[in-house]
Amino acid sequence: MDTLNQLLQGFMTAGTPVNLLWALLGCIIGTAVGVLPGIGPATAVAMLLPITLKVEPTASMIFFAGIYYGAMYGGSTTSILLNTPGESGSMVTAMEGNKMAKSGRAGAALATAAIGSFVAGTIATVIVTFCSPIVANYAVKLGPPEYFMLMLLAFTTVSAVLGQSTLRGLTALAIGLAMGVVGIDQISGMARFTGGVPELMDGIEVVLIAVGLFAVGEALYNVLYEGKTVDTQNKMSRVHMSRSDWKRSWPAWIRATFIGVPFGTIPAGGSEIPTFLSYAAEKKLSSHKEEFGTTGAIEGVAGPEAANNAAITATLMPLLTLGIPTSNTTAILLGAFQNYGIQPGPQLFDTNGPLVWALIASLYIGNVMLLVLNLPLVGLWVKLLKVPKAPLYAGILIFATVGVYGMRQSAFDLVLLYAIGLLGVAMRRFDFPTAPVVVGMILGPLAEAQMRNALSIGEGHWTIFLQRPVSLFLLIVVVAVLVLPRIVRWLKPQHEPDAVVRV
Amino acid sequence: MVARHGLLGAAVLAAGALYLIGGFQLSAEAGYSGVGPNFLPLLVGVMLALCGVWLVWEAASGGFRNMEEPSGAERGDWAGFAWVSVGILANAALITTIGFILSCTLCFVLASRGFKWAEGVRGVGVRAIAMDALIGFAISAPVYWMFTQLLSIGLPGLTSTGWL
Repeated sequence: MDTLNQLLQGFMTAGTPVNLLWALLGCIIGTAVGVLPGIGPATAVAMLLPITLKVEPTASMIFFAGIYYGAMYGGSTTSILLNTPGESGSMVTAMEGNKMAKSGRAGAALATAAIGSFVAGTIATVIVTFCSPIVANYAVKLGPPEYFMLMLLAFTTVSAVLGQSTLRGLTALAIGLAMGVVGIDQISGMARFTGGVPELMDGIEVVLIAVGLFAVGEALYNVLYEGKTVDTQNKMSRVHMSRSDWKRSWPAWIRATFIGVPFGTIPAGGSEIPTFLSYAAEKKLSSHKEEFGTTGAIEGVAGPEAANNAAITATLMPLLTLGIPTSNTTAILLGAFQNYGIQPGPQLFDTNGPLVWALIASLYIGNVMLLVLNLPLVGLWVKLLKVPKAPLYAGILIFATVGVYGMRQSAFDLVLLYAIGLLGVAMRRFDFPTAPVVVGMILGPLAEAQMRNALSIGEGHWTIFLQRPVSLFLLIVVVAVLVLPRIVRWLKPQHEPDAVVRV
Repeated sequence: MVARHGLLGAAVLAAGALYLIGGFQLSAEAGYSGVGPNFLPLLVGVMLALCGVWLVWEAASGGFRNMEEPSGAERGDWAGFAWVSVGILANAALITTIGFILSCTLCFVLASRGFKWAEGVRGVGVRAIAMDALIGFAISAPVYWMFTQLLSIGLPGLTSTGWL
C-alpha cells in the first residue's frame, strides 16, 4: 500500500498544471525528434541539458522522460512511412510496417504501433512502479565491490554483446573510458589528461560527446555520403484497425511486453534484441505466415513495437534503482541527474522520493498524451517527413550549438564538437557502435571510484571481488556473457548462422 | 590489406600509446586501495593499444570482420563536407564576437549550401542565400530569446540587450 500512496503523491506532483505542460512539451518534442530522421532521443535530451541550469529537477526530469518516450512513438511513424528506419529499435517495425504501407495498410500499421506502444508502455510502467522499490531495497545492501561488478557487467553487455563485432565494441568502450578519464580525478583531486587546457579541467561534457557523435556526426555523414540518397515515402491511409486487426494485434502486444521488460531491466542495453525476439515469436505463432515479408503482417508490427516500448520503459529501473544506464538515452538522463547533484541509486527513493514518484507518475500521464498525440494527430507528424534535408540538418546544427554552448559558454567546446563529429562519421562508416562510447564515458569515472573504494575495503587485495558472494556471482555472469555466445556459435552447425538476428 | 581500416587501427593504437605515456607520468599515489589515479588511464591505454593492434591485424588479413555495409554512396562528397565543416568552425570562431544569432545564421547558410551541393544543386542564387539566411535567423532568434529571456541562460550577443 505504501507504494500506492507514494505513487498517488507522485500523481499530485506530476499533475500540477506546470508539470503537465512540461510533460506535454516533452511528448511533443519527443514525437517530433522520433519522426525526424537524423535526430533521436539521446541527441534531443543532450541538446536540452542546459535547461538543468535553471529548471527545477522534477519538471526537467518529467520533460526528458516525455522526450525519451515520445521518440519511440514517433520512430514507428518514420519506419512505417519512410523506407529508412529512424532508430535501431524500429528496424524490425520497418520490415513488416513498410510492406503493410506498400499494400495500402499504413493506417492500420500506425494504429497498431501506437496502441501497442501504449499498452506495453503502461504495463511496463506498472512493473517499474512495483518492482523498483523492491530492487532498491535489495540494492541498498550492495557495497562497492558489487557495484563495480554491476558496472563491469553493463560495460560488457553494451560493448561485447550488441553489435556485429566484439572488437569494435570494445574499441568504442575504450574510447568512451578514455574520454571519461579526462579532468579532475574524483578521489585524489589530480588533473588527468587536460594538457594544460583549463576548459578540460572539469572533464568533457556528456552533451558534447552525445551531440557531437549523434547530431554533428549524422549531419557530416549525411552530407558526405547520403546527398544523392532519395527517401521514398509510402502513401498514408486512414488510421483505423478492423476487428480482425485487433484480434491479431493484442496477443502480440502482451507477449511482446513480457519479452521486452526483462531485456530492459538487465543491463543488456537497448531494444534491438527484444524487438528481434518478438518478431521471431510472432512469425512462428502467426496463423497468417504467408503475409510476413509479402503484404505485411500486422503482428510483425504490433509485437516489435510493443517490445521496443516495454524495453525502453524498463531501462528506467536499473537507472533509478542502481544508477546504471544501459542505453544512450539513459546514460544522458544520468548526466541530467548529476547536473543537479543527484546520484541515482538505491538511496534515490529515500533521498529524492517525491522526484522519483513524480517521474514514474508522469510516465503514465505521458503514455496517455502520446496515444492522443499519435493517433488522431498522426497526419501532422507525417508532414514533418516532408522537410527537405538541407534546412533540416542545418537547423540541427543550430540546436547542437545551443546545447553545447549553453552548457559551458565556451567556444572551445564548439571546436571539440566538430572533432567528435568527425569521430562519429568514422565510427558510423566503419560500423563501430556508439552506445559503448557514451556509456563508457559516463559510467567510467563512477566505476573507477567504486573499484578504488572496493580495493580500499579489501586493503589493496583484488581478492575482495571473489570473497563476496554477490560480487563473485556477478563476475561469473560477466565471464559467461563474454564466453557463452562464442561456445554456442562454435557448437552450432555452420550453415545456420545467427538465426535470430537475421530473421 | 584494407588501407583505411589499417589507418583507423593505427589511430586507435596511437591513442593507446598516448594514454600509456600520459598514464606513466601521473602519480601512482595509491593510499589504502593500492590503486592510484594512474591505474585507469594505464588500463585504458593498454585496452586501446590491444584493440589497435587487433584492428590492424584484421585490416591486414582482409579487413574488419562482420562489417555492416555502410549506407549511402561509395565515395564521399568532400566539397559539400567542406561547406558544412566551414559552417561549424566559423560558428566556433565568430560566436563570441558577432553573437549567437548572426553566427548561427551564417552557419545555417553555409551548411545548407553544403547539403544542397551534395544533392547536386550547383548554382548559387542570391535569392536562395537570402532565403536560407531568413530561415536560419527564424530558427536561431527564437532559440536565443528562449534561452536569454525565458531561462536566463547566457548566450553571447552582438549587443548586451539580450535580443540580438
